[in-house]
Amino acid sequence: MRLKIILALSVLSGLILSWNLHTMFLKVPDELNQGAIFRIIYFHVPSAITSFAGFFLAMFSSVGYLIKKDLRFDSVAASITEVSFAFTTITLITGSIWGRVIWGIWWTWDYRLTSFFICWLLYVGYLMLRRAIDDPTTRARLCAVLSIFACVDVVIVWKSIEWFRTQHPGPVLSIRSGGGMAPGMEAPIWWNFLALIMLATVLVLIRMRQEAMQREIDTMRRYAHAF
Amino acid sequence: MTFLQQALAIAGKDLRSEIRSKETVNASLSFALVILMLFSFAFDPGSDQVREISGGLLWLVYAFAGTLILNRSFARELVNDCLDALISSPASGAQVFFGKCLANYLLLMVVECVSFPVFIIFYNARWPARWGLLLLVMLLGTWGITVIGTLFSAMTVNLRLRELMLPTLVYPMLIPALLGAIRLSTVLIAGEALETDDQIWFKLLAGFDVIFTALSLALVEIVLVG
Amino acid sequence: MDQNYTFMFYGFLVAWLVVIIYVISIALRERKLRAELDRVKRMVDDREHESKR
Repeated sequence: MRLKIILALSVLSGLILSWNLHTMFLKVPDELNQGAIFRIIYFHVPSAITSFAGFFLAMFSSVGYLIKKDLRFDSVAASITEVSFAFTTITLITGSIWGRVIWGIWWTWDYRLTSFFICWLLYVGYLMLRRAIDDPTTRARLCAVLSIFACVDVVIVWKSIEWFRTQHPGPVLSIRSGGGMAPGMEAPIWWNFLALIMLATVLVLIRMRQEAMQREIDTMRRYAHAF
Repeated sequence: MTFLQQALAIAGKDLRSEIRSKETVNASLSFALVILMLFSFAFDPGSDQVREISGGLLWLVYAFAGTLILNRSFARELVNDCLDALISSPASGAQVFFGKCLANYLLLMVVECVSFPVFIIFYNARWPARWGLLLLVMLLGTWGITVIGTLFSAMTVNLRLRELMLPTLVYPMLIPALLGAIRLSTVLIAGEALETDDQIWFKLLAGFDVIFTALSLALVEIVLVG
Repeated sequence: MDQNYTFMFYGFLVAWLVVIIYVISIALRERKLRAELDRVKRMVDDREHESKR
């Protein structure tokens, strides 16, 4: 059943992505000031939203673990965090390449870049902590606490660095006030977002199956030592 | 016993053992001096440039020196299984944590109060006219470092890589508090007027402290006991 | 303008590279886990066998 869901989702996300490539290159004209490079937005923004949504979901799942003490919640949190982390990396690198063309520099200590980088560092810590602890319940417990802390911190970091003013362009999507993009240009962002969310779900599902396998190994090992 | 009494008992125990051995304060203080000295090679110590980055220098020193104290805070209880004894004592996890926080706070404040005049002398800065406000910044910022640091010290105490994990986890987490403290300290040390914009940093510092103190007290039981 | 296109290409390339590298790492982990599962299963079987004798 789950295998079918994984397969269906990955095929669907592949179809949307290739259809989007078609719209992006053939339908959407070059942007007036930025030229072709602006198309990076179609990956940059959706993967940023995906990763943030993931970190929040992971926090809820961590809270769920602390309440229910069920290791499956921990697997969900770990899988989502790991996939979100990959998407954070994509956002950082695509953003950096975009900045190189538009601002002429690879990196600038603008608030969104900085916050995203801090967010990345926080979750590097999370993944490191997971590796450093061997006992599954201790690992689940401590990582759940860290996930909650990291998520709260990301919000505070975001607000505080915003006050340091900015080079990054303001929000361009229409859901925030005063959207600046033409509707025809914006639509592929949302389609890509859908596709990336599906891709992320597929990856999370695969990772969760692996975590389940790991749990099975742990129980069997304990069982074997009982003899 | 009330919550505070229990916590104070723990804090008293920590401080007493620290006063007898003086090992962490000495290490932390000499480390702070070493960093202050190293910074003088990174740029021209007497120039105006120093005034613009003074807050950053100061708080980097405090943050580095702080982790030395925080690392030892729970690790010192590992010998003779003292940590297990503490956990199984009538004091709750939150009380143990809060007591350790108070002790660490005091120790770190001592280190800061000693290294601050040294900083003034080394970098040819003037004693700040509004030193009361600077003290407030130090009190707020240090509490942020201590609360986060003590909680993570409890989290990492049983790890093999304890000394490596603590700084990697703590520093990114501290960035909002450090940002606020650095900004305010720079303005105060340079003797410039505090603008209305800067008040937001006081609020940020206070908010950071309140949020993470509450969160830590709520979650520390899970970290220590499970 | 040419450079503009090249960098866009790099951007897309990197985005997909990250995904691909991640997928490869997942696949490697899958293989390791399966091997470990087999080993542990065999270990359990052996022990059960021994205890019956």
